[in-house]
Amino acid sequence: MVLKAEQFQIIGAECKKHPNNCVSHAKHCSKQKKDMPYKSMIVLGILLISCLMAEIIMTHDPKFMDLANTNIAPNKEFYFGTDAMGRDLFSMIWYGGRISLFIGIFATLISTSIGVIYGTISAFACRKLDDFLMRFTEIILSIPSILLILFLQGIIGQATPISIAIVIGITRWIPIAKIVRSEVKQLKNMDYVLASKIAGGSFFHILKKHLLPNFMPSIMFMVVTDIGTAIGIESTLSFLGLGLPLDVISWGSMLSLAKEAVLSNHWWVMAIPGMFLVITLICMTHIGHHIQNINNKRCSHL
Amino acid sequence: MKPKKWIQKGLQFITTMFILSILVFYMGRLAPGDPLRAYYGDGLQRMSTEKQEQARNRLGLEEPIYHQYMIWIEKAIEGDFGKSFKYKEDVTEVISDVYMNTLILGGTGFILTFGFALLLGIYCIFHENGLADRVLCKIGTVTSSIPPFWISLLLIFVFSVSLRILPSSGAYKIGQKTNLFSRAQHLILPLSVLILSHLWYFAYIVRNKLSEEIRQEYVRISKSKGLSKRKIVYGHCIRNIMPTYVSMMAISISHILGGTYVIETVFSYPGLGLLSFESAKYHDYNMLMVLTLITGAVVVISNMLAQGINKKLDPRLRDDRGEITWF
Repeated sequence: MVLKAEQFQIIGAECKKHPNNCVSHAKHCSKQKKDMPYKSMIVLGILLISCLMAEIIMTHDPKFMDLANTNIAPNKEFYFGTDAMGRDLFSMIWYGGRISLFIGIFATLISTSIGVIYGTISAFACRKLDDFLMRFTEIILSIPSILLILFLQGIIGQATPISIAIVIGITRWIPIAKIVRSEVKQLKNMDYVLASKIAGGSFFHILKKHLLPNFMPSIMFMVVTDIGTAIGIESTLSFLGLGLPLDVISWGSMLSLAKEAVLSNHWWVMAIPGMFLVITLICMTHIGHHIQNINNKRCSHL
Repeated sequence: MKPKKWIQKGLQFITTMFILSILVFYMGRLAPGDPLRAYYGDGLQRMSTEKQEQARNRLGLEEPIYHQYMIWIEKAIEGDFGKSFKYKEDVTEVISDVYMNTLILGGTGFILTFGFALLLGIYCIFHENGLADRVLCKIGTVTSSIPPFWISLLLIFVFSVSLRILPSSGAYKIGQKTNLFSRAQHLILPLSVLILSHLWYFAYIVRNKLSEEIRQEYVRISKSKGLSKRKIVYGHCIRNIMPTYVSMMAISISHILGGTYVIETVFSYPGLGLLSFESAKYHDYNMLMVLTLITGAVVVISNMLAQGINKKLDPRLRDDRGEITWF
């Protein structure tokens, strides 16, 4: 006999199935679920497309140093003004956005892969190895990540977008690894994992087919917010003069001239790249929070 | 705690510090960049190759790394952490000049951040999904996603450059080290940046933890028993999330220290952060070692304290290994 979904009956009062059971809260419950972060998604989409099409939008050559026009306030020719080296900020924003976004995505890819693999190994390991692996992460966590990044950047040498992305990636996997570990610890005793193991499934096969789809929702919000964080770290490093050099244009390296500019009242050098950076980060955080809230839809008893 | 436990904790602490020191030592030595440059500055270019060799030998930079480490740790146990290449003074002396500044900034920031975060989280949960909650969530998302250095720049622009009411750098006016007013004036901007950039991150975690908590069955029971909202939240829910909050406080010490370090660098606030950036930039090994070890020790000790406090707060953790997790 083939069982169909209609033949099953829901037992107990789950409020999302039975809105009558909690009338006063039903509104919030359904609202939380439907409320997609459309605004953030649209803004991010526009930014992404504009950065990819930088060549069409740009009005000047972003790398050209026009020494006759340094520190010009925003006007009709230079929409966003020029910096201390006479480069047009409007063109630089779109051109540099590519590198910033690339660093964010690439760094997150690295940190997520390391985190997932490390966490899974730790969860499957015997207690001693697990203890050791977790203690190791605690030691790494005890160095402020900005110091760690500084070290690694020093070892790799001259900063390029790829090297910065790698350095940021390999210093930011620990929170993901910890969540993955605790998730996998619960999942690994499931029958289907055992069955897959008996059938001869390899470590990566089980990880990909059985574990990843299950714990992906719980790390997804970290992955999205991590993209934003990585972009923020890159700009912080470049601002402090330890990241990308001035001639590699990114939002961060545009901001490395910002402190001098602010002290001499040229606000636009600080404000405009910063606005773009901040808007991107806010959208990322917003989407991340939304993903986190999807997992938490039950009604309040309060 | 029994004496045996104390010994165990002490051993754990020493091993961690030992491993940390080896890691930092190797990482520092393997990094390219010339420590001689830190020692002699621009004078290095005027030195002959021969003299440079001599200087290297004198500073012990030519020997294999493990040998250098052995020498370092032997001296360190006696309390001699070597000289800073850059300041030509004992490392401990340079640090003792400035560590109070970091302690004031970081400590005040830490207490205020976590105090406010708890209050804000509770306030939000009383008005869950109401107007106040949503507005606070929006504002919080904005302030917590802005990188601290940019908030600093913004505040410098508004308060130091435009309004000219607050200083943009330093920890006190030159020569007025003990002037409390001057210190407070210099502290306002860095402190507000520190709080602004970290507050919501923790408040949001409190809010989420509480919002999970109020969906538990015991809340429904307390409610039907006739307890007021306040009594349920303050009497039951808070107590349940406290262990998480305490371990989060411990873990985030390195987070907040890192934030303090960046903020110190932006505001040129003389403290451990400014020192560590300088020493990493100029490969001032001895300085970097001590700074990282101090930071590490603070974090490890606070982790252990948190475990102890948690066992007091939550009886369920007493038999188990009190494992610290991020969430």
